[in-house]
Amino acid sequence: MELLQIIPQFLISGLTFGAIYGLVALGFVTIARASQIINFAQGEFVMLGGMVTFFFIKSVHLPYLLSAFLAIGVVIGLGFLLHLLVIYPLRKASLPILLLATLGASLFLSSSSALFFGTLPKALPPFSGKDLLEIGGVSFSAQSLFVLIATFFVLFLLYILSHHTHLGKAMEASSTDPLGADLCGISRHLMTFLAFGVSSGIGALAGIFITPLFYVSYHSGTLIGLKGFISAVIGGWGKYGGAILGGFILGVAESLSIAFIPAGYKDGVAFLILLLILYFRPKGILGSPFIDSRRW
Amino acid sequence: MVEQIHKDFRKRDILYSLALWLLSLILPDPQLHYRSEYRLRWRDLFYLLAILLLPLLFSDPHFHHLMVLAGIHGILALGLTLFLGYAGQISLGHAAFFGIGTYTTAILTTRHGWPPFLAFWASGIVASIFAYLIGKPLLKLKGYFLALATLGFGEIFLVLIKESASFTGGVIGIFGIPWFSIAGFVFDTYLKQYYLVWIVLIGLVLFTKNLIRSKVGRAYMAVATTEDATSSVGIHVSRIKLEAFMVGAFYAGLAGSLFACVMSTATPETFSLNLSVLIVMMVILGGMGNLYGPIVGALILTWLIDTLAQYQDYSLPLYGVILILLLIFFPDGLGTRLRVRLIYLISYWGRKKRREKVNL
Repeated sequence: MELLQIIPQFLISGLTFGAIYGLVALGFVTIARASQIINFAQGEFVMLGGMVTFFFIKSVHLPYLLSAFLAIGVVIGLGFLLHLLVIYPLRKASLPILLLATLGASLFLSSSSALFFGTLPKALPPFSGKDLLEIGGVSFSAQSLFVLIATFFVLFLLYILSHHTHLGKAMEASSTDPLGADLCGISRHLMTFLAFGVSSGIGALAGIFITPLFYVSYHSGTLIGLKGFISAVIGGWGKYGGAILGGFILGVAESLSIAFIPAGYKDGVAFLILLLILYFRPKGILGSPFIDSRRW
Repeated sequence: MVEQIHKDFRKRDILYSLALWLLSLILPDPQLHYRSEYRLRWRDLFYLLAILLLPLLFSDPHFHHLMVLAGIHGILALGLTLFLGYAGQISLGHAAFFGIGTYTTAILTTRHGWPPFLAFWASGIVASIFAYLIGKPLLKLKGYFLALATLGFGEIFLVLIKESASFTGGVIGIFGIPWFSIAGFVFDTYLKQYYLVWIVLIGLVLFTKNLIRSKVGRAYMAVATTEDATSSVGIHVSRIKLEAFMVGAFYAGLAGSLFACVMSTATPETFSLNLSVLIVMMVILGGMGNLYGPIVGALILTWLIDTLAQYQDYSLPLYGVILILLLIFFPDGLGTRLRVRLIYLISYWGRKKRREKVNL
């Protein structure tokens, strides 16, 4: 009986985490839709979003909202820099080199943030107050609601961008048919550049939303980034809706796993799901426009 | 006038060829696999003598220890170069096989009293068994997704090691692994360990060389080029990939066993993603599809990490920056680019002189 009472609680926290994983996954998908690159430094943008906001609030004493916007701006700048300094010089490099370069960038960002902001884990105050809401015996903080709303808002914005603006179409064209995009006069490098900006902005937003929920330290970015990537793969690589769906599935599965197996194995669950989905359906649940169904 | 330039050119030509010959002694050969048959060349003797004499010339214990680590990294990189360099598949989970080797040796020697020599072979075999179990389903993937899946395997391995405390000692690890010993001879100083590790490495290099020159090695390279064409010729692509993966894991298991015997501890933090990235970096730095290159990469990167360690807090950011710079400026290996650049520099020196002469 006790288990049945706990499970809704786990579901709520799972949905919150799922929304965050979904947000991070949206960042990956944005870049993938514009250039087919996978940016393993995405998790560091999430971490930096929280860290820079904390820095502006505690050290510069700016108001919450202003420092959040400033942090997003700073992280977007870093995203642009990452493209200019790492991705653009390697535009003709092969896959393992690009992979290692983004991993190196991730190492650089996390370790230098430890230098700048210290190694102690940090938590922002929740911007919805500390009181808990309670519905049907299940209590949750209003922060979770904010996270859910923000996730769907970002999803909506990205949908508008990719389906109803010229820019979004151009981004997609430069990924699906590079030669055609070139012939139409679309600058592929500019599109990748912009995609990195958008993606790092989404990452920073995710960081600002999670820092009140749990402590963020300089090395937590890598794992969040990987889980975001995993949720993008689960839902269907290259689909916005798939990213959110995969995020929710991963978040709920992780929280429910705590009820049945020791909590230490929680991080293993995500990778186990990844291995299973890659083996049985590499396209992801919703299917992917970038991966053909043939595996071998 | 014409005659004079001609004579001048000849003189310079001898100079260049001398410089190139000297270079060819030191730099690894990027086109190794185009050679059809193997002769013992001066270059090989030079390497062998250098390896044997180096620790005697520099008798600093820290240097010896560093070279032991570099040798272990070299074995790891040699294993991965079969999979990444020759067969063209990415693995970001190679550190896990290293860890499996280390823990196999640690558990067998401390709990079951196996002699280290037997545990050495056992850890290689256990690692390749794991590689078979993991590779069978995962090697169907390609590119980014293969990288991600192997990375996931590495992370699961770490979680399992940390959580199953009764079996692997959890976060604390296993202590008190005995030194490596063969028939009563104990490798207890850094100098002895240096010779142990590097002789194992030389043996593995010879084995790998034969493997690459055999039919199997050709099949690896064919798989790396085009899978469709390879399978149309009648080569079993997925089996070839699995074989390369297993041989790489076997090497990693041996390296892990040596690591356990040298360090006499096994802790989970050693086998994180950073080590996998480091191994892949060694292979890329040495040049894809190059046998000696990864070992040179291992030497350089081990030295680099040791040198950076003195900058303490700044070491990791510096390491990240250097990694990216190396990737940007030497994307097809240090050897290849360096050789081309040096040749260009030497010829530029000559051309500059000639240009000045013409201008006069």
